[in-house]
Amino acid sequence: MAKKAFGLALASTLLLAACGGGGTEDASGDDRVELTFWLFGTTKYEELAEVYMEENPGVKINIQEGDNTDHHNNLFTALSTGSGAPDLALVEINEIERYRDAQDRFINLYDYGAEELKGHYLDWVWETAENRDGDFLFGLPTDIGPTAMFYRTDVFEEAGLPTDPEEVSATIQTWDDYTEMANTIYEKTGTIVTDSPELVYNALRDQAKEHYFNENEELIVENNAAIREAYDRTVELIENGVVGSLELWTPEWGGAMDTGDYATLLGPAWMIAVIQGNAPNAAGNWSIADMPEGAGNWGGSFVTIPAETDHPEEAYDFVKWLLSPENQLQSFVDAGLFPSAPAVYEEEAFINHTDEYFNGLNTAAVFGKAAQQVESVYKGRNYMLVQEEILTALDNVNSNGADPDAEWDAAMKRINDRLQRG
Amino acid sequence: MYKDKWPGLLFISPFFLLFAVFGLIPMLFSFYLAFFSWNGLGPMTFTGIENFRLVLEDALFWKSLSNTFIIGVMGTLPQLIIGIFLAYALNSTLIRFRNVFRVAVFIPYVTSIVAVAVIFGVLFSNQTHGLVNSILIGLGYDAVSFTTSEWGAKIAISLMIFWRWIGYNTLIYLAGMQSIPKELYEAAKMDGASIWSELRYVVIPMLKPFIIFTVFTATIGALQVFTEPLVFLGRSLREEGITIVAYLYRDAFMNNFFGTASATAVMLFILIMVITCVNLLLTNQIGRSKWKGGPK
Repeated sequence: MAKKAFGLALASTLLLAACGGGGTEDASGDDRVELTFWLFGTTKYEELAEVYMEENPGVKINIQEGDNTDHHNNLFTALSTGSGAPDLALVEINEIERYRDAQDRFINLYDYGAEELKGHYLDWVWETAENRDGDFLFGLPTDIGPTAMFYRTDVFEEAGLPTDPEEVSATIQTWDDYTEMANTIYEKTGTIVTDSPELVYNALRDQAKEHYFNENEELIVENNAAIREAYDRTVELIENGVVGSLELWTPEWGGAMDTGDYATLLGPAWMIAVIQGNAPNAAGNWSIADMPEGAGNWGGSFVTIPAETDHPEEAYDFVKWLLSPENQLQSFVDAGLFPSAPAVYEEEAFINHTDEYFNGLNTAAVFGKAAQQVESVYKGRNYMLVQEEILTALDNVNSNGADPDAEWDAAMKRINDRLQRG
Repeated sequence: MYKDKWPGLLFISPFFLLFAVFGLIPMLFSFYLAFFSWNGLGPMTFTGIENFRLVLEDALFWKSLSNTFIIGVMGTLPQLIIGIFLAYALNSTLIRFRNVFRVAVFIPYVTSIVAVAVIFGVLFSNQTHGLVNSILIGLGYDAVSFTTSEWGAKIAISLMIFWRWIGYNTLIYLAGMQSIPKELYEAAKMDGASIWSELRYVVIPMLKPFIIFTVFTATIGALQVFTEPLVFLGRSLREEGITIVAYLYRDAFMNNFFGTASATAVMLFILIMVITCVNLLLTNQIGRSKWKGGPK
């Protein structure tokens, strides 16, 4: 028994060692250009890649999918060590920040003529993919995540509020309206207005022109009145007792979506799929109205070409094709990816896209309107660090009844301390 | 004679090669990195002992250290003690279906650690309808917000560790008990020893090498607790439950401060060495009769 186990262990070790050797060599034997493409999430790009390979017999696209976190960690490691990076890689909008001062690891798409494509995409998305001076382009934009207010029609009805999306948008135009609505719902039905402080805070934050850092990477959050106001407004809602403590992405958070434990969910277009997945029984109970005081953006990605590639031109041609307005429309239909190319918003198939789950609401129109309101905000490479400390402060206020001013000061101190490490 | 060594060395070489690639070289690189400021992509800047200063002056570092000890004691000490009793029960002839129980006790060990953390996350939910909170409310206590309360987070994480590792330690003790000669048990019975005295004077002294082994592995394991707080607390890794490895993970992989993360790792390395030595000294005392003294 023991001998067998030992033999097995030895064999697998040797196998492992053997695998380490020849992974990178082109052993395929045919003379097609092979492009490796790293993906995360549900994009259905593999189907488009099939179409491309049929049209371009000289190119073979090899897709490898991973979980969001793993994908970005693997890419970071590959780029950091300078080996093992793919020819094409999807990079999420917040993740791109940490590569800004390492642009030598990517191909500058401007060198391959990307300038001509600039007009096809929303300005703010395009600017996010550029470096500070605007002469380097990291990638082409895939989808975006314009935000809106998802709300429970059954809860609104019970509280005597309008339920029709247009009426709701007209009634709740400002954050004061939102707060008032929250209080009404809480008084009449006992239902809280939001899952946790996070999404309300994010929605408020996204209305600021500047967030935590300026374009010189200097920390500005301490004196940024707009962010402080977002914090204070969230605290006000917490103190009114209308904010829950359901952490995002937990099973309970998903379950509460189904049972209607909270009245609104402030989220992006891709949340449609999340709600439908978590709340199959609540079809018809969710609807979508405009975000009070204007939409922000949450998510979206870019396809980049790491500098290690041997075939930058072929890779560029493929990206250009993949993310063209026509194919963005296809991705929207296939996987619900909200297009970053405004030309799609004019398309018949897009304009008339309705969703039965949301009572036949024209979801494309709601988010199309939101997308036009989004403005580019400079985030900076330590954006998530600051964000997490502020959320911790809000959680302390929400769950432990801590003093909001003291928590804000403590968060600012932690942020300053931690930034010394970089 | 000398020539005979080669096949042997060849046979054990895969381990050493893999260890060098995946263990030794990264470890040495960590030591080196601890003296630099590096974000993983940009240039490295030598900063001397600055990283150590930053970490040592960080209140959260000390908090994570004390959390690690508290969770370590709450999660592993009961394991080792209860493990002995469980093993004793499973070894005794009084229990029927012993094999069923032996398997049952060991099953948690083969469960995926992430699955365990997710299930415990649901049990120890912050909501009032969570299982543990429902029980607390039923007993007339207030509901606890487990992930944000000082002791709630620690108790939940400790229980997770206890549940998952108790079977492993029990199994080792059980194997140890079966290696104790039957004559010793019989002799104890003849002398009319109670179960308690049998445990104290026969089983525990004879189990000493096994106890030393489990204390060793448990101590090192306790100092490296990571997945449970990460999955239970989520990305926020709040101060109530952050452990030292979670602390350095947050620095390195969430914020890309590889310098301070490496400095933390170096300090953890030293700490583990010191604690293991202290442990060795202490566990050596187990089963040693003080009054007889004598040279050893």
